[in-house]
Amino acid sequence: MKVAFLSESPADEAVLRVLVDAILGEPAQITPAGFRARGWPNVLQVLPAVIRHLHFNTDVETLVVTCDSDDSPVHTEAHEAPQYYHPHCRMCQLRAVFRQTSKRFPIAHGRLKVRRVVGVAVPALEAWLLCGRDSDVSEGAWINGQLAGRPPYTRAELKFRIYQTERPSLPHEIECALRETERHRRDLRRLEYDFPGFAALMKDLKSPA
Amino acid sequence: MNRVQGVDVIDTVVFHNFKALRNTSLRLSLFNLVIGPNGSGKTSLIQALQQLRTLSQFPLGDAAMQSRSGGPEIAFTFTAPYSGIVARLGCTSDVLCDFLHVDCLDTASWLEVKCRLATLRTYVLDHDAMAQSSVRADSAVLESNGGNLAAVLAARQHEAPLAFARMEAELLRLLPEFTGIVIEDDSGGRVRFSLGIDGAGEPVRAENLSQGALYLLGLLVLSFDPTPPAVVCIEEIDRGVHPRMLREVRDVLYRLSYPESFGEKREPVQVITTTHSPYMLDQFRDHPDEVVITQKLGHEARFERLSDRLDLPELLREGTLGDMWFSGVLGGVPEQQ
Ligand SMILES: [Zn+2]
Repeated sequence: MKVAFLSESPADEAVLRVLVDAILGEPAQITPAGFRARGWPNVLQVLPAVIRHLHFNTDVETLVVTCDSDDSPVHTEAHEAPQYYHPHCRMCQLRAVFRQTSKRFPIAHGRLKVRRVVGVAVPALEAWLLCGRDSDVSEGAWINGQLAGRPPYTRAELKFRIYQTERPSLPHEIECALRETERHRRDLRRLEYDFPGFAALMKDLKSPA
Repeated sequence: MNRVQGVDVIDTVVFHNFKALRNTSLRLSLFNLVIGPNGSGKTSLIQALQQLRTLSQFPLGDAAMQSRSGGPEIAFTFTAPYSGIVARLGCTSDVLCDFLHVDCLDTASWLEVKCRLATLRTYVLDHDAMAQSSVRADSAVLESNGGNLAAVLAARQHEAPLAFARMEAELLRLLPEFTGIVIEDDSGGRVRFSLGIDGAGEPVRAENLSQGALYLLGLLVLSFDPTPPAVVCIEEIDRGVHPRMLREVRDVLYRLSYPESFGEKREPVQVITTTHSPYMLDQFRDHPDEVVITQKLGHEARFERLSDRLDLPELLREGTLGDMWFSGVLGGVPEQQ
């Protein structure tokens, strides 16, 4: 499968490459330079152009888009209802961009559209990395904290738990991130169970184009 | 604010009637990225620090300072254990501050501050100067424009080979098209450098390197210095660098201020730096306490810390820091004529 990534940093992309290979059970063919957004809402701004570019100018089959939820509303089962759209949920917003952008695409490079794969890390990718290691970290724990008005941890705390500093160098960040990803590469079930924002990515990736 | 007791040097700078800085103060952190329009005081801040360094190295003046009250003045305070000291730069005009008065009960403390200030360095790197060969002996510290880069590289390789090797490895990671730093004798006791490339190709001589590669090498020389200055000021850190590489440039500078995070075992360096790049500002989303915005209103300018913006979390939901700066929401933009 020919796969392109749109992510917020080289470290995120390195993790996603490993996870995508693990889901597919074989190495994906990856576009050389990943697409990059400068955080939210820049992901939303560049996504339509990336989708159009891939559809018309390349033979890439799948675009994997990930972002952090930060403190935005988390995508829940209720959002999956037909016609439902939560205007502040990042999963709902990214899916809507895919839908609207590729609505009237003609067939190009032998396919009707590029496969949509969206994952939202709640509240940040570091939570995925800590899954299965720190038992207090899960999407459910974060949602409960949001409901109680008392988040169980901050983004900065999650980062510190992994990198042991608030300011990791990029190579250190990638090294630590890949070390934690190794656990998931061997067995994705815990991540799939504890993080529906990752399970959605898995489901998208396995779906027919 | 990221403040580790006793590691940064300068605590606050208070400007009074100095150029556009009529009446404003700035509390410095360990790391400071200063953004704002031209003529808003970024360079004035750095010049004031440079002048503090110069004048602090002379014997202290007397009470003559008092007679100048009302004129331009720049006052500095220092971090603990030197928090009792106030150093005032007196200025005869907007452009000339030529007198330093120090209020200090304890001379020994001032001598310690003076020692640390003696190492303060300010940089406006110049790629043309950096590419020149330089006198081998002229290698004590990197000059303000980076002009003696070749000599500093040669001395570092000779005197601190491990630090040199780590710096070289970092350069090659950042610029993987190169294979090493080649230092050669030039005529007349001078030394020059090139960067090696893969295969049978000739090394690329300094004068043929890109501006970005030269600036990056200059920053690496500073950040891998085994005995760096206590305070480093660097202007325009984003020059010549691809936007996707700005994270790496930020990290090169973070190495100075947060050595522990980078596996370095030395004192942190206080860094004051400037940029005009919104993409560089984006790199500070998680650390708004490190960003200072100079606001210019008419003929008056003042400093603000980005972390003092109470609506910052809402702003970041709607755009990146760089977008918000460019839009004018954060201020720090040129005035309309
Ligand atoms: Zn949703």
